[in-house]
Amino acid sequence: MWIGLIIFGCLILLFVIMFNSLVSRKNQVENAFASIDVYLKKRADQIPNLVNAVKGYMNHEKAMLAQITKLRTEAFDNKIGSNERVAVENKITDSMNKIMLAVEAYPDLKASDNFMQLQRSLNEVEEQLAASRRAFNASVTDYNNGVESFPMNIVALMIAYKRKNMFVIPMEFRGQTDERPKIKL
Amino acid sequence: MKTEEEFNRYYDVNLISKLRDLENERKKLLPRAMMFLLGIGGILICFFSLNVWAFIVAILINGTLGAVFLPRFFKLKKALKVKYKEEIIKEMVYFIDPSLSYNSTSFISQSDFENSKLFIKGIDRYEGDDLVVGNIGKTEVRFSELNAQYETTDKDGRSRYVSIFNGIFFIADFHKDFVGETIVLPDRAEKLFGKLGTIFQKMNVSRPDLVKLENPDFEKAFVVYGSDQVEARYILTPALMERIMDFQKKSGKIYLSFLHSKVYIAISLNKNLFEPPLFKSMLNYKLVEDYFKYLMLIVNIVEDLDLNTRIWSKN
Repeated sequence: MWIGLIIFGCLILLFVIMFNSLVSRKNQVENAFASIDVYLKKRADQIPNLVNAVKGYMNHEKAMLAQITKLRTEAFDNKIGSNERVAVENKITDSMNKIMLAVEAYPDLKASDNFMQLQRSLNEVEEQLAASRRAFNASVTDYNNGVESFPMNIVALMIAYKRKNMFVIPMEFRGQTDERPKIKL
Repeated sequence: MKTEEEFNRYYDVNLISKLRDLENERKKLLPRAMMFLLGIGGILICFFSLNVWAFIVAILINGTLGAVFLPRFFKLKKALKVKYKEEIIKEMVYFIDPSLSYNSTSFISQSDFENSKLFIKGIDRYEGDDLVVGNIGKTEVRFSELNAQYETTDKDGRSRYVSIFNGIFFIADFHKDFVGETIVLPDRAEKLFGKLGTIFQKMNVSRPDLVKLENPDFEKAFVVYGSDQVEARYILTPALMERIMDFQKKSGKIYLSFLHSKVYIAISLNKNLFEPPLFKSMLNYKLVEDYFKYLMLIVNIVEDLDLNTRIWSKN
């Protein structure tokens, strides 16, 4: 009788520990996702500065500037879903890269203090964004390990916690690794 | 940056004549050292021969000789050391980069050492020498030799000092701004206990949160603690992790911390660098070359960790 009770108590305790561990891992993922949002907003705040800095020089790329301003407004729209938001943010990354490439044709603009300072801030926010995505992926890995490994997967099944997907790092952030992996054939 | 060939030429043109002078002085010092050692040997022989009178006589003779020669020996030894550091090490530092300045008796302060948060054990004895300060490109650097110890008592109640850190301590301005703390230490727990080690590391209350990074080789070599998960990754980019691993292959055991927008690096060594040889020839090229290699290893940290790249807000 007593032995039965002790075993039951231990099982309950184990369940509570695993349940709490899963909840804290899930919250960690949400927290990490929120920090990506902070840096996305920080980047979006730089867009008007970028447009102002380059518009005096770029006469042929007016459409490109109009598009990025439009994308910024879309990104701030609360009504769009998370998948659409990711698509908009990817388009912003793409447009920014195009503008940066176009700047190469204007040496005066490239050399101006104002633009150089802006470029530094953009580099910074892009790298912070990359770091927050990596932090998100690390917390998703931690969460998925919990959801899939035994015996925590039983608790996960009971409270309907499912595997989460990681962020796929876009190509431009992979550029941070300046040494290419060596492939042996 | 200076190459070994350039140093070889510099040695032949500038250093060898100074080393010859120093070698003459060392030779003058040597008979005094030999006398002293012979005296000690004499006392020991008499002691073990168990002849009380021989022992007393040996002590008297050696005591008199010691009283005459020893103070002079230590004075000359100190003078030789000062001259060696001023004429050889200082010149070498200037040769490597004229913007660097060298002071043989100064060292990184204890508060700087403690602020790095690399070693949390309380310090009872702190000493060092050979401070180098200056700018390498856009990066401000400082480094010196350090020896930090704590006091402990053994089974018999005798106190002794145990090393916390011995080696070169390097501080440089980091190229990115940050507010939190990120600490990178050699990973012992994971090496010893594998996956279980990670659990111990997570429970380490004296450090901030454990940061698990995605580079498996880096994770095997180091354990990272950080007050902010995102900031730790902002500092430790995939490229910097590779660079730190490459540097570790050259330098051996290293500890790194990123605090107050600075990087602190402690390179553990089991020898005292930049000292004149007493029982070997000053003209031994290998020794000077070894000192040059160590200086270059440290000065090259700026390049190795890419600290001169200033593409972020911090200028």
